[in-house]
Amino acid sequence: MAKLDGKKLLACCANGAGSSLMMENAIKKVLKKYDIKPGELRHCAVSEGKSAARSYDVVFCARTFAKTFEGIEANGTVLIPLKNVMSDKEIEAALKEADLLD
Amino acid sequence: MASVLQKIVEQKHYRFIDGEGVTWQEAVRLSAESLVADGSVEEDYYKQIVDCIEKYGPYVVFDHNVAMPHTSENATGAHKTGIGFMVSEHMIDFGEDEDGEKKEANLFFTLSAVNADEHMDNIAQLSNIFMNDDLLDALAAARTPEDILAAEAKYPCED
Repeated sequence: MAKLDGKKLLACCANGAGSSLMMENAIKKVLKKYDIKPGELRHCAVSEGKSAARSYDVVFCARTFAKTFEGIEANGTVLIPLKNVMSDKEIEAALKEADLLD
Repeated sequence: MASVLQKIVEQKHYRFIDGEGVTWQEAVRLSAESLVADGSVEEDYYKQIVDCIEKYGPYVVFDHNVAMPHTSENATGAHKTGIGFMVSEHMIDFGEDEDGEKKEANLFFTLSAVNADEHMDNIAQLSNIFMNDDLLDALAAARTPEDILAAEAKYPCED
């Protein structure tokens, strides 16, 4: 079983309508490549994500919003800030770095 | 099905400007004008986008000088899902991001999101366009709608 199988993943951006959707698409590409079946993958606005983040295993956001999520890692949530929100290569590398890919 | 660039041309959602001395706020307004023209958005829709960038910084400017100004889905004053495309001959200055990196753009894809499925499809296609450097260079050099279609024909996206 892949490490991310059954995990809950969240992608956040300012409005929950633009870059978070791009992130979600890029994340899907990586999950497909590694044949991972997450428990949940959704996107939302930072305002909503702030409180929701703690119940997710991995939270992705543009680097601009990394500060907003400070402290969630204490709960065991992995925060992955991205420079380029549509880069599946960057997401793949970041997940490897966090030891979340097999 | 028509690609987003074909739809931009068909719906006349494009604009070409010189851009010299134009502020980013004004550029965002100009990029939405083609959407205003056919009633896709109301005239002051762009102000919500400006407010959002003022609040969160120039996060809508991606690599390769591409800007995707947008607000949330079903924003006030948005009536139809669409993309306002704009090329500026001069770079538009968006200031610096949180790392002090200079952000500027000469390609604009300004979004209006009303229909969730259509918007999702637009975003997926834009992701592919934004990762296609050759296409972006050709689009930045476009000065007519025909140039937009020629750019896409020459540098098609994968998928």
